[in-house]
Amino acid sequence: MLKLDAVGRQFGSLWAIRDVSFTVEAGEIVGIIGPNGAGKSTLFNLIAGAVVPTTGAIRFLDRTIDYGKPYHVARCGLARTFQIPKPFKQLSVRENVMLSALRRHHTPRQANSVAMAIMEFIRIGELAEASVASLTVGQLKKLELARALATEPVLLLLDEVMAGLTPPEIKDMMTVIASLPRRGVTVVWVEHVMMAIMNVAERIVVIHQGQVIAQGKPADVSKDPAVVGAYLGEKYAYAAR
Amino acid sequence: MIAGRLSAVSGVQAISLSIAPRRGAVSLVEIAVLASCIIAAAVVSNRYAVDIMIRTFLWAGLALAWNIAGGYAGLISFGHAAFFGIGAYTSTILLLNFGVPPWFGMFAGALIAACAGALLTRVCARLRGPLFILSTLAAGEVVRIAALNWRSLTGGPEGLEIPPVPNVVDMVFKSQWPYVAIIVAYMLAMFALSAWIEQTRYGYYLFATRDNEDGASAIGINPSHTRTAAMALSAATTAIGGTLFAQYFLYLDPTHVISPDISFQFALICAVGGLGTASGPVFGALIIVPLSELLRGLLSQSTSGLHLVIYGIIVIVVILYFPSGVSGAIGRTVSRFFPAGGFAARVQTEKYDAQA
Repeated sequence: MLKLDAVGRQFGSLWAIRDVSFTVEAGEIVGIIGPNGAGKSTLFNLIAGAVVPTTGAIRFLDRTIDYGKPYHVARCGLARTFQIPKPFKQLSVRENVMLSALRRHHTPRQANSVAMAIMEFIRIGELAEASVASLTVGQLKKLELARALATEPVLLLLDEVMAGLTPPEIKDMMTVIASLPRRGVTVVWVEHVMMAIMNVAERIVVIHQGQVIAQGKPADVSKDPAVVGAYLGEKYAYAAR
Repeated sequence: MIAGRLSAVSGVQAISLSIAPRRGAVSLVEIAVLASCIIAAAVVSNRYAVDIMIRTFLWAGLALAWNIAGGYAGLISFGHAAFFGIGAYTSTILLLNFGVPPWFGMFAGALIAACAGALLTRVCARLRGPLFILSTLAAGEVVRIAALNWRSLTGGPEGLEIPPVPNVVDMVFKSQWPYVAIIVAYMLAMFALSAWIEQTRYGYYLFATRDNEDGASAIGINPSHTRTAAMALSAATTAIGGTLFAQYFLYLDPTHVISPDISFQFALICAVGGLGTASGPVFGALIIVPLSELLRGLLSQSTSGLHLVIYGIIVIVVILYFPSGVSGAIGRTVSRFFPAGGFAARVQTEKYDAQA
């Protein structure tokens, strides 16, 4: 589904991402973790086509993606959420979600019914006519996910969707994400809430200083000395045992 | 922005949410206001009153055209006088030099203006906010200076005059009423176009590109194409208004027709009436145009310039107190009295009860 081959991106003299290679198979939930500034967001921007790689190649559905044209990549079936939500501020919640569905369903009426179904699925149905300005951080994160899902993607990039959610909301969101592969959506997920990502993701890729330092099953990764040293800390290693 | 607050109390939960503003759909208020203007002018039937009405409706149509780029797509342009001038000059030059009736000439002007608008958007593709606005202002000035100096084509500063010989084919009439009919038709067509844009996929793409370009790209919208198309459509419809202006006043010169003042007036009418709505520019024109004419009539004899000072103060007060424009204020008032009527508010409290 997705294949990164020795991908690198340089900003000035700094390599934000260097020599990153990994693949994602259809139906997987792959978690990406790493400390702040490790290059996770740059990695997402590269996969989504928003940033052009300096080296290497990114293949999505067996085609090299159209670097620098995120709208082309999106039309091929890739959707993403942004770490800082990017809603359409002058529109209602329903219109925000409906807009995502408009590419596949050409009239607002058809797109609306898709949007309503997705909002019920994410449990923001009761916010349909609210203005975006009135939403809490947690609701904005859910809206971000609903907007991405309404494009009916085959691959979904989630960028810290749990940040700002309350514990019950995190539980809800974990259920939603875990159910996505059954709906035909493959997930690549950046997250700092370890409890959530370690329980839901099937495979974890650890990034540190722009490079992959470990990948594998959550249980194995959490015991890896390099990962513990770079990111998780000693305390988490004990807890994982 | 926030059109109304609505709260529902149920059992353990109280939800309070603000309802997003409603666009589109012609309200009875708008139809009543427009109809009463036409009837009033017909009853008064004084040449001056009818003239003000024609100007008002022409400016309403032009402001609606500006609003497609400035309001819906967020492309605030201070260069629209160039498109207005292109429309006015193209049809007039075709009429005077080749005898092409303005009924066809206006579409030639629209086509040229659309190309100019698309070109401008492409050239300024990387500019946003104030830089984009300044570049449109500069583009408008380029067209004005070109028109001033290209004497063989435009007549230079002396301008062009359309012979005042009434003739349906040349769109020149003795009575004012055919102009009323043509200009009201133009305004209604612009209103219908705006209302249609608000309800189609393309309109939503415009809103998305305006509100968040990265977010729009991420759901498959090409922001550059969307912007270019909006500016081309806005330029073309502005040019048609330019032709109507030329046919009504029968005289054109670059200093008055391609002046930045014209562009500012488009923006001002939309800001006062309400940006990004179909009714906003109409309300804006209904307030601004008669007001400036009235003030000029009443005050210009006493102290020179006083009417402009008072006009400026009134505009500042309106913008300060109605940041979402007059149409936004009317929308709020309507929603206060009919909370369920204009807004599809849907508050599901049962679900919360079930979870609690």
